[in-house]
Amino acid sequence: MIGSVVALLVLLAAGVVATALIDSAVGAVVGGEPVGRALKGPFTRSALLAVQGRTTTERPDAGTWRLAPALLGGLAAVGAAAVPLGRGLAAGDVPDGIVLFGVAMALVMVAVFLHGWSPNSPFPLFGAYRFAALALSYEMPLALVLIGTALPAQSLSVGDIVSSQAGLWNVVRQPLGLPLFLVAVAGLAFWGPLNVADAPDLVGGTAAESSGPALLAWRAARSAVLVAAAAMAAAAFLGGWNGPLLPGPVWMAVKTMGIVALVVTSGHRIPRVRLERFVVVAWVVLIPLALLDVFAAGIVAL
Amino acid sequence: MLGAVLAIFLIALAGGLAIRAGASIAGAASTAGERVPMLGGCAPGTHAWSRFHARWYPMALLFLAFDMEMVFMYPWAVVFVSEGPLALMEMLMFIAILVVGILYTWRERALEWA
Amino acid sequence: MGLRAALSRLAAAAPVPVFLAPGAGGRSPAQRLRLSPYLEVVDSPRRATVMLVVGAVAAGAAEELHRVHDQLPHPRAVLWWDMETGATAPPPLPTAERVVGDEAAVVGAVVAAHRGLLSAGRPSSPPLLADVEPNDWRGVGPFGQGGKGMTGGTPYGRPLPTRAPDRDGLELDQLVLTLGPWLPMLPAGLVVEVKLQGDVVQEVTLAPSPGLVPGAAPADVFERARVEPVPIAELELARARHHLLWAGEVLVLLGLVAESRRVLRAAVAVVPGAAAAELAHAARTAGALASARRLRHPMARVGLVGADRLGEVAGPTARASGVVTDARTDDPAYRSLGFEAVTEEAGDALARWRVRLGEAVRSLELAAEAGDRLTSVDCTPEGPRGPWRAGGPSPSTALAHLAPGLLVGLEWGDAVVALASLDLEPAELAADAARPAEST
Repeated sequence: MIGSVVALLVLLAAGVVATALIDSAVGAVVGGEPVGRALKGPFTRSALLAVQGRTTTERPDAGTWRLAPALLGGLAAVGAAAVPLGRGLAAGDVPDGIVLFGVAMALVMVAVFLHGWSPNSPFPLFGAYRFAALALSYEMPLALVLIGTALPAQSLSVGDIVSSQAGLWNVVRQPLGLPLFLVAVAGLAFWGPLNVADAPDLVGGTAAESSGPALLAWRAARSAVLVAAAAMAAAAFLGGWNGPLLPGPVWMAVKTMGIVALVVTSGHRIPRVRLERFVVVAWVVLIPLALLDVFAAGIVAL
Repeated sequence: MLGAVLAIFLIALAGGLAIRAGASIAGAASTAGERVPMLGGCAPGTHAWSRFHARWYPMALLFLAFDMEMVFMYPWAVVFVSEGPLALMEMLMFIAILVVGILYTWRERALEWA
Repeated sequence: MGLRAALSRLAAAAPVPVFLAPGAGGRSPAQRLRLSPYLEVVDSPRRATVMLVVGAVAAGAAEELHRVHDQLPHPRAVLWWDMETGATAPPPLPTAERVVGDEAAVVGAVVAAHRGLLSAGRPSSPPLLADVEPNDWRGVGPFGQGGKGMTGGTPYGRPLPTRAPDRDGLELDQLVLTLGPWLPMLPAGLVVEVKLQGDVVQEVTLAPSPGLVPGAAPADVFERARVEPVPIAELELARARHHLLWAGEVLVLLGLVAESRRVLRAAVAVVPGAAAAELAHAARTAGALASARRLRHPMARVGLVGADRLGEVAGPTARASGVVTDARTDDPAYRSLGFEAVTEEAGDALARWRVRLGEAVRSLELAAEAGDRLTSVDCTPEGPRGPWRAGGPSPSTALAHLAPGLLVGLEWGDAVVALASLDLEPAELAADAARPAEST
């Protein structure tokens, strides 16, 4: 057990580093700059944040401010623990993996809200409330499409869901599932077009008052959420460890980072959505589509 | 196995707190001027904490209804294949009622706020 | 400690997170700094190691400047890029290191300051504001609570927001914020007082920062065109460049930072005498941005300006509302080139985006066709924000009258995009505000 716990945390950390590298590389390509130099950026920037001094604000809620990045990272790790890397290789191989994942990801809202609320500063506060509206809109599609994948597996265990895709991956069997889940992944990590919480029009939103190590922890935790959610996407829709030639865990890593790359690239190409429009679209289009996905999956499974 | 999950959560939490502690080479900024919230130069007149008008509250209420529904759907998903078409029909009826709620909220323009 | 030293060495090699405080004439040079691979322009001072004042800042904005300075974490340094624009008074920053010279010199100085802070023991710039709480009220309890209560007094040095009626018929807290002059999502030098309930704008007042020194910026080609004939080619290249730089700013607000650097790079290459390939690349970039479907969503139907609401506003903003008005159509030299104004009907931020980028493409064509034709001095020249006669009010003043009504009722993110879509220049507002004083 200790081995699998350590392995999970190491892999998650590696995923965070890889995410930063992919983001830098894609940013350099989009910006028309040399990629080689950009790949050094995540390391030097992180080192700088680690040694920078701390700042605070007038009468912040210091305890919750300190807790928020750690909580976000902890929730990301729990979410990732529900996802098996190979047959029987889940650090937290609970029988109801997608419920555990859903619980951890629902609490992301708490971590992000605390991070924005704690500094007692207007822009973080706006970011916090924006994220709450965003989260209430993507939660439903997120959970529904996962339930859709549980129907053919007749189980809430992520391992069983992966096994049920040995013949045909869910991305084909439930074509609505992955696109909807990807929207939810971007929302969970408030990444790219759905980065309404830490947006430039709020000078960084919930992170506007964060500096140095606190900002480093926050960014790492946010990337960890992205990696955990991408791993779930790989397991639930892309057949998880199933794949020719390579060993299962390698397939999982490749698929996870593929999803991460997709979300990160969208962040460099698609502008930030208007939150109000997104809320309407989420309720009027995405949730009905997710319900359709569940019932279609049910009919196929029968 | 929940023990492992708890261990993972606590280790990651501790890691987050440890990163946040940092390896600072300079002291913390701590004078009253350094603590003023960032507004681009001007100082805020009031605290930011306030009875914030979360204008999307009708949507939050709608969410509550759906969140309850989600609790029923997890066990439903497990027994779905063994229960057969009956389970499908029952859930379809239940969801159809909830979707009427979405349509009503939408018609009332309660999902928009600006 | 070994780890700390190793991290510091690595940190010294990082692109320098620099917070820019552009003063008069500093906006466009500040934008160019975004392209340096050695710098990373950050949007919050809480992330920067170096604060760079670009151009002249008058003593009127001393307190604001000091406050931004104090918001940088330690170790920090503050530099002043003296562009020697004639306003020789240094900014009111006692610890600022003066840098003269071109962009490369400034980047070099910023990098040297950053490395000095991290590895050579350069002392961190001390706080400039006095260490005094804004208000000394405390409650009677051990944590400052009680007494007049959190809702009654001024807990922890500041009062709580007061209530105000809302259009929903509710009475809820209203946040009254005075933003700027150096908030990256607002035009540099603009001070915006905004009343917000939730994230919806209730009331807006705009004013130029008292730190802006009128006339400190060198006269550009548009200003020269008011008093003397200038080559059409030069004028149109400047226009194309202006619109592309503006598009780069808007892309940052939309979250597309990497793409904005690509656009900035195309923009700064547009100078008189540039290679044809560079100009063709700029035209392609502008054309692609103008028609990009993926950029429609955040700007469509944001900040609608009907033709009846324009008032004194002319220029691209009026043309985006379907009004065919362009001072260039009066100029015989432009008429001989077959000039026609670029217009859009919708009147939203997207229409303004399309008009400006469409004009950038058209300007690049005009510049290529114009040869050595000159503008006629008896015609009012059309600037990038509209016509501006010598001695007349600036186009920005008309835009500043339009803006408050435009922003009310918008969600904050939309309000920011709507304000950016007007392309208001605070320095022009400051110049207008100073003019009556000169004439009396």
